[in-house]
This record gives sequence, C-alpha cells and structure tokens, in this order.
Amino acid sequence: MLLAERSANQGVGFALGTVSSMTKLVASFREVGHVAEETAEERRARFERDALPFLDQLYAAALRMTRNPADAEDLVQETYVKAFAAFHQFTEGTNLKAWLYRILTNTFINTYRKKQRQPLEANTDTVEDWQLAAAESHTSNGLRSAEMEALDHLPDSDVKDALQQLPDDFRLAVYLADVEGFAYKEIAEIMDTPIGTVMSRLHRGRRQLQAKLADYAKDRGLVSSGSGSES
Amino acid sequence: MGFGPGGLDCEEALREVFRYLDEETDQAERAKIRAHLEACGPCFEQFGTSADFKSLIARRCGGERAPEALRMRIRAQLTRVTLEVGHVEYRPE
Repeated sequence: MLLAERSANQGVGFALGTVSSMTKLVASFREVGHVAEETAEERRARFERDALPFLDQLYAAALRMTRNPADAEDLVQETYVKAFAAFHQFTEGTNLKAWLYRILTNTFINTYRKKQRQPLEANTDTVEDWQLAAAESHTSNGLRSAEMEALDHLPDSDVKDALQQLPDDFRLAVYLADVEGFAYKEIAEIMDTPIGTVMSRLHRGRRQLQAKLADYAKDRGLVSSGSGSES
Repeated sequence: MGFGPGGLDCEEALREVFRYLDEETDQAERAKIRAHLEACGPCFEQFGTSADFKSLIARRCGGERAPEALRMRIRAQLTRVTLEVGHVEYRPE
C-alpha cells in the first residue's frame, strides 16, 4: 500500500502520501529508514532546520485561508506533520517553500474548506476569459490613481477584510502572487491547476479586490464618489 | 501588432500590466512594454497605479507571526514521532 503510494508519487516534485493516522506515519518512516542513509533523529533535525523557518509565513497564509487563528494554528500543525511524514519524498535543493505551501493548500482544501462548507468555485475560467476581461477592463474598470492614493489611507484591517471576502481560489492566488511573490508556475503547482487558470484567478481576484477597496475608501470618505469617473 | 510606441497599442500594453509587474513577461515583451511606457504617459500612470496596488496588498496582508505555543507544539510532536520511530529502529534483535 505504502509502496504503491510511493511509486505512484515518484517523479512528482510535490507528491504527498495520504497520511491519515500516526500509525501510518510511523510505518512510513520505518519503511524508508532502510532506503535513506539518515536516522530518524537526523531527519527530524534536518526537517526542523529547513522547514520550521517558514512557520510564520505559513501561519500568515493559513490565517488568510481559514480566516481565524484557531483553525489557522490547527491547519499549520497538520501541515507540518504531513510534511515531516512525506519529507523523504522531497528532493533536497528543490523549492521547499513551494512544497510546504502545496501541502498547506491541499490540507486546507481537503479539510477546512469542507468544514466551512464553502461552495467550490466553478472552474469555468479560461485564458480566453481572462484576456477578454483584461481587454474590457482598460476602458472601464482600471483603478484610478486618485483612488489608489485613497486606498493607502485605509487601515490594515480594511485591506485584510477586503481580501478575506474574495472566494477561496481568488484570495489564495492573489495572496501567493502579491504577498509571497510566487511565480505563476509555482502557484499553478501549489494550487494544482493550469497556469491559465492561475492568471484568470489573479485577474478576477485583483479586480474584485480593487472594487471592494474602492468601496471601503468611499465609505470612509477618503474619496468622493465622483472622482475618477473621467476617461 | 499595434501601431503605438514599442509596437503596442495602449490596449495591448494595458492587457499585460500585471503579467509585467509579476515579472512573467519575457525579455522581448518587457522591452516593448518599456518602450511603450516611455512614450505613453497615461499607460505609464496606469502601470504605476497597478504597481502601487500590488505593493499595498504585499505590505498589508501578510507578516503575522505564529504564536510561540504553536512552534513548541509542532516541535514536540515532531520529537514524539521521531522517538517512536527511533524506538523501533534501535530495538535490540
């Protein structure tokens, strides 16, 4: 079972075994112990040294995903346990940060999103879609510089709130690109989706976010409702 | 192929604004867009506004630190798992 899992996962940089219980987790270690020339203690030390420095970043991302600190802590802890169990599948020298984000995202989608009973985003977005929307946006909906200046005066809580209101897939794409600075290719791997879909989610997410933030700025009287309506 | 500066129409340049800011355009595309921006004030301003937006999200939406208790819980759990494995591995025959 584990062998089958492992061979199915080989060659995939981001492969994850489905580790559902501690027993299985320990079993996976025992088995790999023969293969890797590393004791369990050495592996733990290496994992802590390499993976634990990403704790703050993963926690911040988990906060954006789950929208509350208790769930974010659970999500991050589960992520680390899974990552440790699958660490033998990770190729040293490849992108550990992206690999951890992939596990985080996976865990969020499989556990927390179900728990939160959020409707899944319909996957109907395509590149064509994105290009059409982009073409139309330049004539109508681009953020005006006066509006942008107003957004700078919004409190942090407003900016975070606005991001939190985006659908999961849009929110995550925007977060991974703008806060974490991941490349589209990495986001595609993390979210397990084609690059075209990443671009579409980014485009729509940013547009929704700009609209929401512009509304917040208006509500706070930072920008008059008439400004920026030229062009 | 457009007829504006850099061989781009404004519409073509603006369509690529975030791909450019996300550093996803190739060298040839970047050169064309830069040439366009150098000659086109309105597009230059729109690119600047979009860059400001991107940086606003980057500055305001991350940066939380994980609680120390979480770090300790994770380390304790990793140690526990490792000890269980070690116990099995080093058991005398």
